Amino acid sequence: MSTNIPSLSETKKKDLILKIVTYILSIGLSILILMPFIFLMREIFGDETYIQPGPGGTFEIVRVPRKTLMTFKEFLGLFNSWSFIPLKNSLIVSVTSTFLNIYFSALTAYALTAYKWKLREAFEKGIIIAMMIPTTVASLGFIQLTYKFGLINKLFILIIPALATPLTVFFMRMYLKATFSQEILEAARIDGAGEFRIFNQIMLPIMKPAIATQTIFCFVSSWSEVWVPSIILLDDNKKTLSIFNSAKVLAPPGGLELMMVIPPILVYVFCSKHIVEGVALGSVKN
Amino acid sequence: MGKVRSLERHYSKWGYIFVIPFVVVFLIFHFWPLGSTIYYAFCYLKHAGNTNPEFLPSIGQPWYKNFAEIFKSKSFWDALKNTLFFWIAQLIPEWIIAFWLAAVMTDRRAKIKGRAIFKFAFFFPKLVAGTALGGSLLVFMISFFASSVGITLAISEIDGFGLTPENMEFFTSVRFFIIIVSIFLHFGITFIYAIAGITGIPVESFEAAEIDGATRTQTFFRVTLPSMKPMLFFITVITVVDGLGMIEIPSYFGSFDTLRRNLTLMMYLENQAFMGSYAYDRAAAASLVLLFVYIVISGFVYYFLLYDKDESKAKKLQKEARRASAE
Repeated sequence: MSTNIPSLSETKKKDLILKIVTYILSIGLSILILMPFIFLMREIFGDETYIQPGPGGTFEIVRVPRKTLMTFKEFLGLFNSWSFIPLKNSLIVSVTSTFLNIYFSALTAYALTAYKWKLREAFEKGIIIAMMIPTTVASLGFIQLTYKFGLINKLFILIIPALATPLTVFFMRMYLKATFSQEILEAARIDGAGEFRIFNQIMLPIMKPAIATQTIFCFVSSWSEVWVPSIILLDDNKKTLSIFNSAKVLAPPGGLELMMVIPPILVYVFCSKHIVEGVALGSVKN
Repeated sequence: MGKVRSLERHYSKWGYIFVIPFVVVFLIFHFWPLGSTIYYAFCYLKHAGNTNPEFLPSIGQPWYKNFAEIFKSKSFWDALKNTLFFWIAQLIPEWIIAFWLAAVMTDRRAKIKGRAIFKFAFFFPKLVAGTALGGSLLVFMISFFASSVGITLAISEIDGFGLTPENMEFFTSVRFFIIIVSIFLHFGITFIYAIAGITGIPVESFEAAEIDGATRTQTFFRVTLPSMKPMLFFITVITVVDGLGMIEIPSYFGSFDTLRRNLTLMMYLENQAFMGSYAYDRAAAASLVLLFVYIVISGFVYYFLLYDKDESKAKKLQKEARRASAE
């Protein structure tokens, strides 16, 4: 038996090697990942860079150097009153759609967990099927729907569909399965709280980690969505930031690029403290 | 007993009430578009802004005309091949790195510090990507890998490995950069969810494995992965959805590539529907093919991760027993 168990010093040595490898790998990856941000800053404040196709599928990077580095006055000039219109549009779409997505997903997941109703199991199966079929498949029908009812250039058509996101419901359900307790619910009922109030005042705070995690992901995905918005929003005063920043239009003014980058970082910093960790997510109990 | 029943019924109505908003919006904004997309695939629907589909058999054409058209075009097959290739080539390295790092960083014995910082760093591309950073990420990657390929070639000239520029062509091609940038964009998501899943496993299971003398690899494959199955399912679904719907990164390289090396199914769909040809019907047929691919892959994933064989067996036995007792 004793030959199979490695001696203590050997294990320690192995642990040390593992530790060093992990640190080197993750720090290296972090540097590699954060480097492009410096490039982005250079693009905003310094050279203009773009990719040009070369012969045989290769690529060349073309740099158009600026004569002088951007002055502070020029930098402020980037944020003229016009550039705030796309920012406002993007904020309206992303903030409201994230809110609707999170709140109603939590509500749906709660309904699946707390109550026993006849169609519950069928509904849960339906959610699992629906989450495996992404909305992109149906985007053609969705765009036709907006054409048919003359909803082009309306922001709300991008907001409402976020209310029903099966992926978020599945995540919330996973979290609630692990944390929900019937006792709390019954105690609140005895105190005379209504069902809706129980959800808002007791269940939502319990689900805080799941909400924080999903807020980050929903906000980021809605913030950077390009494809459907660029087809539906044709009026320049209704376009979102991501459309201006997408590769299809000419290089956007630097201010727009900076505006595009900052809000998701703020959301992450605000929510990251509460990201789900250490909760038995749907794992096997006992 | 009867009182408890009626109480339960009294509350169960709230279950229905709470899911009403979800169901209504889902039916109008997700289910209807999906249904109409399926219908358009069998219709004639061309020209910009046309909202008047004509069912193919009713105008004297075979119902499979759109499918025949896209199956005949070479660019569709290229798009399908590229999409699957990009997806698999991105998935394998991404998962290996992400799960390995997540497993080590959550290891109780290794005690790696700074998990929050690494999380932020790894998730950073996704935070600012999509549009703004994607371009600069590409520029950076291209210059980085182009230079390392150059160095490799220079070394091999001295060393005589026999590497020629043709051997290294893949590493300077569009496909390679698309894969690398996709890995960088998605890696953080997988990492964060993997950590959430692993930290949710009760410490006792790891302790038990430790006492039994399991190595780290054994612990990972026998304890960690099986006990985070729902999370694994969630991560897989995200990877499938994002990977097969890939459009933003490949379209940075534009449509100038005549050999269609960067064409994905979503780009093909966009080209058919909104860029020039306005053939909504053909695009709908292409979406149906994409839907089919999704269903096949998701079916496999569901069967391997969530399908409970014992439970379905038990249900079958129950049914049989009920039938037997009824007879």
